[in-house]
Amino acid sequence: MDEPVVKLDNVWKIFGDRSQEAMSAIKERGITKPEVLSEFGCVVGVQKATFDVSRGEIFCIMGLSGSGKSTLVRHINRLIEPTEGKIEVLGRDIGSLSSNELREVRALQMGMVFQHMALLPHRSVRDNVAYPLEIRKIPKSRRWAISDHALGLVDLVGYEDRLPRELSGGMQQRVGIARALASDPAILLMDEPFSALDPLIRMQLQDQFKALVAQLQKTTLFITHDLDEAIRIGHRIAIMKDGEIVQIGTAEEIVMNPADEYVREFVQGISKLKLVKAHSIMEPVESYKGSLEGAPEADHKADLDQIIDLAVNTEQPVVITDSGKPVGLITKPRLLRGIQGGKE
Amino acid sequence: MTPSTEEQDNGISVTAASDIEVDHEQLDISIAEFVERNPDYYQNVFHKVHAATSPLPNTFNWAAALLGPIWGGFRGAWGFFWGFLILEMIVWVQLGRGLWGNPGAKFEERAEGQLEKAAEFKQRAEEALAAGEDATRFEKLFDNMSTAAERSLTEAQILNDGKFMVFLTGVALFVLVKLTQGFYANKIYERQYSKWRIDPEGTESGVKLRNLVLSLVLVTLIAPLTIYKFTVESPFELLNQFPEKEISGYFLEEENETLYTESAKWLEDRIDAAAVAGQGLFDGLTAGVRSVLEAMTLALIVTPWPVVMVVVCVVAWRAAGPRVSIFTGAALAYVALLGYWEVSMETVALVGAAVFLCVIFGIPLGIWFGKSQRAYKIAEPVLDLMQTLPAFVYLIPIIAFFGTGNPPGILATIIFGMPPVIRLTALGMRGVPRTIIEAAEAFGASKRQLLRDVEIPLALPSIMTGVNQTILMCLSMVVIISLIGGGGLGQEILIALQYAAKGPGLLGGIAILLCAMVIDRIVQGAFRREI
Repeated sequence: MDEPVVKLDNVWKIFGDRSQEAMSAIKERGITKPEVLSEFGCVVGVQKATFDVSRGEIFCIMGLSGSGKSTLVRHINRLIEPTEGKIEVLGRDIGSLSSNELREVRALQMGMVFQHMALLPHRSVRDNVAYPLEIRKIPKSRRWAISDHALGLVDLVGYEDRLPRELSGGMQQRVGIARALASDPAILLMDEPFSALDPLIRMQLQDQFKALVAQLQKTTLFITHDLDEAIRIGHRIAIMKDGEIVQIGTAEEIVMNPADEYVREFVQGISKLKLVKAHSIMEPVESYKGSLEGAPEADHKADLDQIIDLAVNTEQPVVITDSGKPVGLITKPRLLRGIQGGKE
Repeated sequence: MTPSTEEQDNGISVTAASDIEVDHEQLDISIAEFVERNPDYYQNVFHKVHAATSPLPNTFNWAAALLGPIWGGFRGAWGFFWGFLILEMIVWVQLGRGLWGNPGAKFEERAEGQLEKAAEFKQRAEEALAAGEDATRFEKLFDNMSTAAERSLTEAQILNDGKFMVFLTGVALFVLVKLTQGFYANKIYERQYSKWRIDPEGTESGVKLRNLVLSLVLVTLIAPLTIYKFTVESPFELLNQFPEKEISGYFLEEENETLYTESAKWLEDRIDAAAVAGQGLFDGLTAGVRSVLEAMTLALIVTPWPVVMVVVCVVAWRAAGPRVSIFTGAALAYVALLGYWEVSMETVALVGAAVFLCVIFGIPLGIWFGKSQRAYKIAEPVLDLMQTLPAFVYLIPIIAFFGTGNPPGILATIIFGMPPVIRLTALGMRGVPRTIIEAAEAFGASKRQLLRDVEIPLALPSIMTGVNQTILMCLSMVVIISLIGGGGLGQEILIALQYAAKGPGLLGGIAILLCAMVIDRIVQGAFRREI
């Protein structure tokens, strides 16, 4: 892929009056988080965050509450100033922008969706969606047209003139998404957008959102505390713990090779059937001594669910092929272990 | 019921609530830490207090009963200390009056004087007799005086007999207070213990020598003097009156000057100097206020009265509906028919000018205070002062600085009326949800856009409440400013007050009331529509 859209390089955030002193103490003496708290009275919000997000990617940041994920994402539009480190968005160093330039980048390049919607209660749905455009002083006729189009994208036609409080939670969040899309930004920042919604609505919105982003090709940073949501939506997932990114990878990588005990505990309850692909659990063809005559075949990109469909009707292993050539096979014991998540 | 405690696989034991045993061990350690002295006793009584099912006390603390407030001070229970110190004081005063007090002293004194007079009359009578004159007049007087003296003596006797009753009630009260101390000491101390568990830093615990000494000193300072003053018939003069003259003399070494006259003179000089120094500024302010007032007056008084009436009624209709409009019409009719039209309009102009100035200065100040915590911290005492300082107090410097008449009156009204709109604007600004502000910032809003599109609209209900409060405050003040030459209905009432003219006073009062109600209804109706 080309130049990353968002690039974070060793970003630190320390909260407190003496954050700079604490930062230099960390750099010189390498003191730990509790020491920073007791020595300087400062809280480490984010530590050494480094990652790239490429164009059109949905990058999920997953972590429990207090893990610093919301803080991290607010660095990207500089709602929070980093204590240390560099943030580049579309090749521009965000930290070096003047306040006017920053406002422009926020208005043109980034749309943000919040957990608690944060709609303006005294404005109609249409005027809420149009607000980012109004900030940019776009004339009313144009604003309204764009806003109606954005509301169409989230399936809210007919609600333009209502007030936010007249809408349900799920609908309000769709207004929030439409507002973020209205200025056609390159980047979407989603701060736990679906967390406050009930599960059914959440699932619907996740699917709708995924389709929308795929269609519009928006680079998205998506914060969630729900691993299922991260797996369903994200191309890649970063797992945060205590302000630190513990692991970055695709859903399959994280589920199959958790970086540490913390991540392992997280992924334990996740269903592997749709996640794990055949090639990651197959064994060499030579290791099987019996006959492979009439054994079922599957592509190496098939997921466990499909392998199970093939394996139930036969005693033989499933042969895994890559462009027609056998590259490996999966025996029943291997398959069962794979479902468990690669336990040996 | 079978015992329902079962060990489960995961090692968590589940117990039915009814089977849970009270575990005293942890509690005892903590109680011992709290009381420091005598832990065994307090562990025992606290358990009893905890086990109590009725609100009545179930323990008795001998130490507390005997030592009373000193026990409380020693244990750091200062509420107990002060409460029972006052109660014990009442008891001791009662006992002292019963034991060595002299309730009949006043009558005895009187009887003595009367006896003296009687003796005098007797002597005069004897002298008259000796001189061969008619002595019946003196004899009569002597008889009367003697009877009066006798009556006074009986009165004194009755009072002195009643001394025993006073003593008896004293004893009864004493027993009652001691019992209360004993019975409630542990309950009160247990409450302090519960508080201490939550806030060990901020709650006194254990026994401290410092507390003991402090309570002893307080008791010895307070008790003897008080008991002495209450029980002895003529205590030292010093206890009756604060010796401010003597102290003044000590400081100033001058016979006629007191601290009071000195400070008053000093302040007066300062105010006069300030008035002279700031003349230009004060005149400018007065001129500014006057121009606002003149615009208001022009609109309300110079405009023909039918036009004003119709406009007010229509505004009431548009803002608050037909009912308020009818009420407004009736109120205007009352005012006009009683000949109050012009003065009422002057009152409304005064209020209008004051409110206008309050709003155009108060809302920006409120916005500032809502955004800057530090500015608000500084401004808050000033706002408190503006609201609580009695109007009569600042009317005087206002006269000194601005003279008399309507514009100074409006300034006084502004001082009184501005705080609510400032406060409520600041409150509204602080009440704007952080998340919505953050959202606007995330979409690139500038500070000005944020204020215009987000903060002010969301704070508007609160701001409107503030404006309404300010209007009502200004209306109540507009009567008082008649004291410094403010016109309008206030002046009518002031005149009525000076002549104790009940009828005109009441009619004028009702006119003010109607003005206030009309303005309030219209404004409230308009706000309700707004929100």
